[in-house]
Amino acid sequence: MSSTVIVFLLLYYVVVLGIGYWAMRRGAGEDLEGFLLGGRKVGPMATALTLQSTSMSGYMFLGAGGLGYLQGYWAMWFAAGDIGGGVLNLSIIGRRMRKLSQMMGALTSIEYLEKRYPSAAVRLFAGILTVFLLGFYVLAQLIAGGKGMALVTGIPYPLALAIAVGIVLVYTFMGGYLAVAYTDFFQSIIMLVGVMWIVIASLSELGGLTAANDAIAAVDPTLLSVWGRDLGFQGQWGVVAGALLIFSIGYMGWPHVVTRHMAMSQPATARKAGVYATVWNLFFVPAPYLVGILAILILPGLEDPEMAIFEVAGLLLPAAVTGLVMAAIMAAIMSTADSLLLQTGSIASRDLYERFINPQASEKQMVLVSRALVLVIAVIGYLVALIEPPSVFGIVIFATSVLGSAFLPAYVCAVWWRKANTPGALASMIVGASVAFLWEYLGLAASTQLAPMLTGVVSSTVAMIAVSLLTAKIAPVPADILQIMDEAARVGPIPPQLLAASDGAMGSEAAAIDIALSKRRD
Amino acid sequence: MFGLPVETALLVFAFPVFWVLYTIVFLFVSRHWKREEREDGGT
Repeated sequence: MSSTVIVFLLLYYVVVLGIGYWAMRRGAGEDLEGFLLGGRKVGPMATALTLQSTSMSGYMFLGAGGLGYLQGYWAMWFAAGDIGGGVLNLSIIGRRMRKLSQMMGALTSIEYLEKRYPSAAVRLFAGILTVFLLGFYVLAQLIAGGKGMALVTGIPYPLALAIAVGIVLVYTFMGGYLAVAYTDFFQSIIMLVGVMWIVIASLSELGGLTAANDAIAAVDPTLLSVWGRDLGFQGQWGVVAGALLIFSIGYMGWPHVVTRHMAMSQPATARKAGVYATVWNLFFVPAPYLVGILAILILPGLEDPEMAIFEVAGLLLPAAVTGLVMAAIMAAIMSTADSLLLQTGSIASRDLYERFINPQASEKQMVLVSRALVLVIAVIGYLVALIEPPSVFGIVIFATSVLGSAFLPAYVCAVWWRKANTPGALASMIVGASVAFLWEYLGLAASTQLAPMLTGVVSSTVAMIAVSLLTAKIAPVPADILQIMDEAARVGPIPPQLLAASDGAMGSEAAAIDIALSKRRD
Repeated sequence: MFGLPVETALLVFAFPVFWVLYTIVFLFVSRHWKREEREDGGT
């Protein structure tokens, strides 16, 4: 292994740990709002880049390259939706969710759901489902990080895994959300520079894009089509729709991604953040798929297509640049792992432990519990990843499909549809999660030619609309929620009387919810 | 274009153009959001 590669990786690790320390010094761990949402002080560029780098895990360097290598330009359907994922998310729910979450005093994306759809069952179901799925998703990222590190450095997998997990854990533990957001910012720049370097090197090697496409056509003309190798996906519009949806509107159902809206410095931050997200995506998103496609010519007969980008980088780039690319790959993995780790710990502590087990916990106790749970989840993730590493990208696709299907209508209707009520939200979450899970588990995508994400989102949306309308009279949306929804729709500063009195203080807040709920029952 | 069939060229280039237009339209229709911006806001 080149010493230059090690120097780049070490430099990268020093910077991310430094950001974690900086965030801690800025008081990120002093109170719960500071630890979980960075004190709602994150500006547009950092919001855009943490949203994007969290959404784009190690999948972009491993799975996307592999898909391009196997299926040619068909893989670009995924990129076509993904490019708009950020701006779509920010324009549809960003501003209103930021405002609504502050007025309701919600600090996690699951707590937000309970306060919009008042019911302990909403929080319990959403909390358990999210902790379970994000837990698996964290596991996938840790495995990818350990494998990547082992491949790059040549050190044994268990040690590589321990280093990768340890570094993510330390900076997340120190600086909470602020550390996660700003390391994501730094990591997204590294990711962009790294992947653009490989694209340029690949195109130079092949004499440009037109020459490369002509050469691919000579190998197999179907690789240039929009239907995949041997036209294997011809006419399968259900699968195409799933590819377009999963990384575009799907983001709006991911609890670890929508938290980014709640942490924005102000509601209008969504506006500039949308622009930054589109600009970054235009350059970054298609690149890994394109490198995978070009690898068909550069490295024909590759044994493991998921290694296409690693192998192309190793072959075409000088050692110093390879170090940067390896750091970029680790950045993609770690920028998702840190967010998942923090969100899983936050939801387990605030939405399950504090809400249902110890509502009287003080804020300092809760910061400690959140940190302890981040540590516990990382250790469990490490041990599971060590014992039995499952298929990394199978887990990612499974978890993201179920999460998106379960929560997409709940988050979108929370800000846009006044008739969306508690039974509708609960039905939508249960139906969406069940349909997407069964579609994946029973392998129905192949026989029906419909992607799990598509069927999941359609079913959860139908459930939300039908159940909300059918139960409108017996479970109307409370007047106070309608009032703050109207305020969220209005453009202007939040009136002081509508700001949550105990923003961040969970003990009194939990008591307030109980009082409000018991009043409603009476 | 670039040696690609027409529909593939559309997939590769038309979608990004669509998202750029979407972003421009979003910027335009949300221009009044500036009223909500605080002077002390954020990092």
